[in-house]
Amino acid sequence: MTKVYVGMSGGVDSSLTAALLVEQGYDVTGVYMKNWTQDMPGMRCPWADDLADAKRVAVQLGIDFKVFDFENEYKQKVVNYMIDEYRDGRTPNPDIMCNQEVKFKLFLETALEDGADMIATGHYARVVSSSWAAGSLSGHTLQGTAGTPVAFGSPSATSPANKPAARLKLAADTNKDQTYFLYRVTGEALSKTLFPLGDFTKPEVREMATKRGLYTASKKDSQGICFVGKIGIREFLSQYVEQKPGLVIDKNTGKTLGQHDGAIFYTLGQRHGLDVGGGLPYYVVGKDMNKNEVYVTTDLNDGALWKTDIRLGNTHWINDAPSPGMYQIRVRHRAKLVQAELSFEESNVRLKLANTERAVTSGQSVVIYDGDICLGGGIVI
Amino acid sequence: MNNDLIYLDHAAATPMDGRVFAAMEPYFSHDFYNPSSPYAPAVEARRRYEEAKHSLAKNIGAKADEIVITAGATESINLAFSAVTGHVVTANIEHHAVLSAAAGHDNTIVSADQHGLVPADVIKVAIRPETELVSVALANNELGTIQPIREIAQVIKHERQTRLISGNQTPIYFHTDASQGIGQIDCNVARLGVDMLTINAGKIYGPKQVGLLWAASHVKLVPQIVGGGQERGLRSGTENVAGTVGFAKALDLASEHRKYESDRLQKLRDKLQADLIAAFPEAVVSGHPKHRLAGHLHISFPKIDAERMVFSLEARGVLVATGSACAANKGTRSHVLMAIGLSDELADGSLRLTLGHLSTDENTLKASQIIIEEIKREFDRTSR
Repeated sequence: MTKVYVGMSGGVDSSLTAALLVEQGYDVTGVYMKNWTQDMPGMRCPWADDLADAKRVAVQLGIDFKVFDFENEYKQKVVNYMIDEYRDGRTPNPDIMCNQEVKFKLFLETALEDGADMIATGHYARVVSSSWAAGSLSGHTLQGTAGTPVAFGSPSATSPANKPAARLKLAADTNKDQTYFLYRVTGEALSKTLFPLGDFTKPEVREMATKRGLYTASKKDSQGICFVGKIGIREFLSQYVEQKPGLVIDKNTGKTLGQHDGAIFYTLGQRHGLDVGGGLPYYVVGKDMNKNEVYVTTDLNDGALWKTDIRLGNTHWINDAPSPGMYQIRVRHRAKLVQAELSFEESNVRLKLANTERAVTSGQSVVIYDGDICLGGGIVI
Repeated sequence: MNNDLIYLDHAAATPMDGRVFAAMEPYFSHDFYNPSSPYAPAVEARRRYEEAKHSLAKNIGAKADEIVITAGATESINLAFSAVTGHVVTANIEHHAVLSAAAGHDNTIVSADQHGLVPADVIKVAIRPETELVSVALANNELGTIQPIREIAQVIKHERQTRLISGNQTPIYFHTDASQGIGQIDCNVARLGVDMLTINAGKIYGPKQVGLLWAASHVKLVPQIVGGGQERGLRSGTENVAGTVGFAKALDLASEHRKYESDRLQKLRDKLQADLIAAFPEAVVSGHPKHRLAGHLHISFPKIDAERMVFSLEARGVLVATGSACAANKGTRSHVLMAIGLSDELADGSLRLTLGHLSTDENTLKASQIIIEEIKREFDRTSR
């Protein structure tokens, strides 16, 4: 019997994931990953309820349950990364980092060492089996779903041969699809991963969980970045970086409009939280981290807000690097897929968009698709 | 409570007695007045409040002007520790409220024995010439072990005499948190020989967040909550008339039924313990074999994950606690179980079963059958 370790967070998605795998005949073990949370002296730890919910469901399903303590690694790889990126004036995405470093690396490795054959999570995404992927790896030309023939296995491919690899496919529920957060995992990791929820919509998941009497069936979905919790990103960051007041300057007139309490707290396109009152709303169109200045405009059509040309560094491909050509891209989670022409500039990727995209900012991830297959992506330079 | 449920966690919370609720009810609505107001109905509320305090005081053999009504036992304990600034002595099995309060002072934390008992001579050794407070709970909330409060009181009395002779003018007080024991043990302060006593209503079928601190007249308390000067300035805030009236009624009922209820619960507990040990001879009962609260059973099953049992028993309608509710919430092992030297394996397999008003012969028997079935099922599952 295939032994599967399911990451159980105490939410409805991962609860149903475990239930479905039990029904499908897998030998299932539930695992709660203890990630880093801020130490609040004397306070009841915030994750205790989630851990209890996960365990309660595991008991209900009659499966083994373990706790993997990833606090240190999570702090180093995810939390510190996020703080550093903000400090450098960028807008990072910790969920992507968490998937890359913790869930589909550390958790996978730890589970395999512990005797698992595969892992599973409650992500809304699909894995296309390795036989399909292996065919593509050998350089065959496949029919892309968008109708254009796309050649895989370009000369820049870096995956070593003979390694098992699977492809990442959009979830059936396009509204919930989470492939944006998964673009930095490896094809090899995916070949050992199950996403049992990928074929279902969220309402279907709730319904199936309710039908099975799962304790978490009606539990509210968690929001935002887990370790930041209820306090919000701004307050969280202000505990790690010094708040330094700086000037808010009108980009067009050069006039000082007011003060802000640290350029790192602002991101491109942001409208709220600027201490400049009256008249038309101002949008952030740039910042200078050295001068600690934030530049704003009331012009909704300002060039800085809209991009048709995006350059990506630090690219990652789930399988092989794609050949230059037309693809679909997504600039943020749940954003519409839009057409873009991909080309390579040394180690970077350049994307020319058919239409403009708003507020594409440094540090943010852009994910590249070929039809319903997620190829990978990179980080906006 | 849902009648299909069997509640075995009376040490965590107790359902309010209908008579207590009836006594409190008027003060939420009809007689809602602020006891400090001058008009007649408010004066009447004040009178009922004072009457309730007198009744509470009488039940513990004290005077009404020596008690301070607090929002529960934790506040009462914090107020007790306000009486001193110097060295304090307490034990490693005490409740977090006491240990946290002690952490704010120079302190000595003595070790309980393997039954969770704090022997008087251990306290005696820990007392220094500058020690100002000793705090030991009447009964431990996890194990049910009843402490030798009178013997410890003798040690403190002796220390006081020694100080008198040697000219050491540092006062030394003895505080006990009796919240866990008051339902089953007479808490006359003179007989216990303490200087301060904490009790609360929530553990004796009264309202939660209502407690008191009794302090002998020679103890100088420092208010922790300041404001309008209620409770002789020791605890500001509009008096909780309903809560205090309910507390008085609950303590009255507890005193009245103490003997009968202790005997009844002890028989039930002994039967439950015997049944579980018969089914699982390898199980370990913790707490003092003799000096233990009547309705209290702390039992550990080797190779069993007690947290899983809480959930599988909950699914069968039986509500139990693992080791300690507080410790379980913090995701760490109970400090009490570590203190008495219970192995990690046994600590992780510990259930705390506490009987009370809701326990009957029938439902306790049924509960023991369900517990046995569920533990066997878990053994079967893990040995597959």
